[in-house]
Amino acid sequence: MNPILVEIYSTVIPSAPYLIAAYALLWVALLAYVLMIMRGTKRAEAQMRLLEEAVAEQVSRSRSER
Amino acid sequence: MTRSQKAPDVRPTAHGPAPAPRPTAPAAQGPAPDARPQRPSGFAQYKTLLGKDLRQEFRTKEMLVSMGIYAVLVIVVYGVALSFARPGEEFLEVSGGLLWALVVFTSLLGLGRSFATEKENGCIEGLLLAPLDRGVVFLAKATSNLVFLLVVEVIAVPLFWFFFSGFAHPGAAAPLMVAPLVVGSVGIAGVGTLLSTITANTRGKDVMLALLFVPVIFPLLYACVSATTAALVGGDALADVFGMSLALAAGYDVIMILASWVLYDFVVS
Amino acid sequence: MTKKTTKLPETGQWPDRVAPAVLVAGALLTTAGFLMAFLVVPPVGGATVGGAELIGGSLIANKLLISQKIFFFHMPVAMVSFCALAFAAYYCVWFLVTREQRFDTCAKIAMEISLLFVVMTMITGEMWTRFEWGVWWTWEPRLTTYLVLMLIVIAYLVLRNMIDEPERRATFSAVIGIIAFVDVPICLMVTRLIPSSIHPVVVREGGMSPEMGLCVGVIMAGMLCVGFALYRLRFRQVRLEQRVEAAKELLED
Repeated sequence: MNPILVEIYSTVIPSAPYLIAAYALLWVALLAYVLMIMRGTKRAEAQMRLLEEAVAEQVSRSRSER
Repeated sequence: MTRSQKAPDVRPTAHGPAPAPRPTAPAAQGPAPDARPQRPSGFAQYKTLLGKDLRQEFRTKEMLVSMGIYAVLVIVVYGVALSFARPGEEFLEVSGGLLWALVVFTSLLGLGRSFATEKENGCIEGLLLAPLDRGVVFLAKATSNLVFLLVVEVIAVPLFWFFFSGFAHPGAAAPLMVAPLVVGSVGIAGVGTLLSTITANTRGKDVMLALLFVPVIFPLLYACVSATTAALVGGDALADVFGMSLALAAGYDVIMILASWVLYDFVVS
Repeated sequence: MTKKTTKLPETGQWPDRVAPAVLVAGALLTTAGFLMAFLVVPPVGGATVGGAELIGGSLIANKLLISQKIFFFHMPVAMVSFCALAFAAYYCVWFLVTREQRFDTCAKIAMEISLLFVVMTMITGEMWTRFEWGVWWTWEPRLTTYLVLMLIVIAYLVLRNMIDEPERRATFSAVIGIIAFVDVPICLMVTRLIPSSIHPVVVREGGMSPEMGLCVGVIMAGMLCVGFALYRLRFRQVRLEQRVEAAKELLED
């Protein structure tokens, strides 16, 4: 290969790991936040289900009392 | 009254029982027309509060002694840290920074204490129940913190040079470093008073104070270290750095103290 | 989003209706920007080499700096982080004016988004710094400002965890949010205006070429969309949690 071309492209290979890492970690950070939100939503939904059960229980109890 | 405010929906008018004039109130509440005739009494309040703090401190000397000893300990730690360093003119470039690290750590200790005592004695509740302007409370507290800090600096800075004079002799312009010390202390006392009031009410006060204080104070610290180093090293090239840094530090003081003064109203109510 | 004090931000309002579309737009724009950065915009040249070579129809006499491609995401992400911080400060002010817990929630979430984007900025910046300057960290004005910004945002979020009483937590954190917003521009100014004797002033390469500007603009629009969509997503989740909590308390009574 032509030496000038070699020199022109000389920084491409050494910089590639950093370049790829930068982009990868960028998306990892975004994804981590999205996962955090997802987990929170799941937890809130589980709580909601418990709440529904509690409400149903209370309603049935108040009916039977009547 | 801190506990009486559990209601989640407190309107801005319900700031507490004190019908204090509020020159610091945001525009939504309109200008305070009674700010001007209140001023002499405001100043009197300020003097009383400041006098109380100073009298209390100079009687017990609790805070001054602990801050002073702490400063000496930091210097001892520096001594250990520098025990393998070679004396020389290069030390002057570092010494400004070391001096400011000393000031920051010592002031952190003092600021943490300043509200702890008020809380322990329950003084703060009484202080806030009194019909006092919150701005005046802030200014009095900041001034007393400033006085303590300056007193400690008057002792600690010569002590620093007493111990480290073997490393290098500061340039002829060294006395100029009084200016950044004063400007920096004003900013530290102003912002620090706001932050220590906030953190006095949180869990893990001291850690929280450091966590908030260091980043917020960063620009001031940077400017003051620059000015102090310029004064210590001397020389023509650094002459303009000194002025610029000092001006920036003063600008920080003005903006942040103004912001703290305005926001203090919300913090203590 | 919330122009009137009377109307509180709540889930299901118009921002939530447009949020999915915005998310898709954000994904498309960032992908387009990504492709554009690598395929359309010509690489920036570094040091000249001892000759010239014809590549793809143009004469090139410099080393190609591929690492510069990081910049196309780095700067927009940084801008979005400032934007989020500004929104957080705006909600902090609104909280202090109206004393509505809802604005506190908004401010907290905006701060989180700000932290996320600051972290993204730091990651991309560090990678570039490591390659181009050969160090992981230097006390360069921009880096310093970003570090301070990150620390303040972290301190804000830690402070929230340290106070249990909702009213007090909201007030204190609103004050810190405003202080942070005032402090960061000062920090940038101070670190830039004071000449440092130790570190060389980083010479910015001359202005961006129109293509680069366009690419940065596209990615910035995309990142703004992504940030907005994430904000709404998080807002929905937090509101859901709050409503569940409120319903629980109601049930216990």
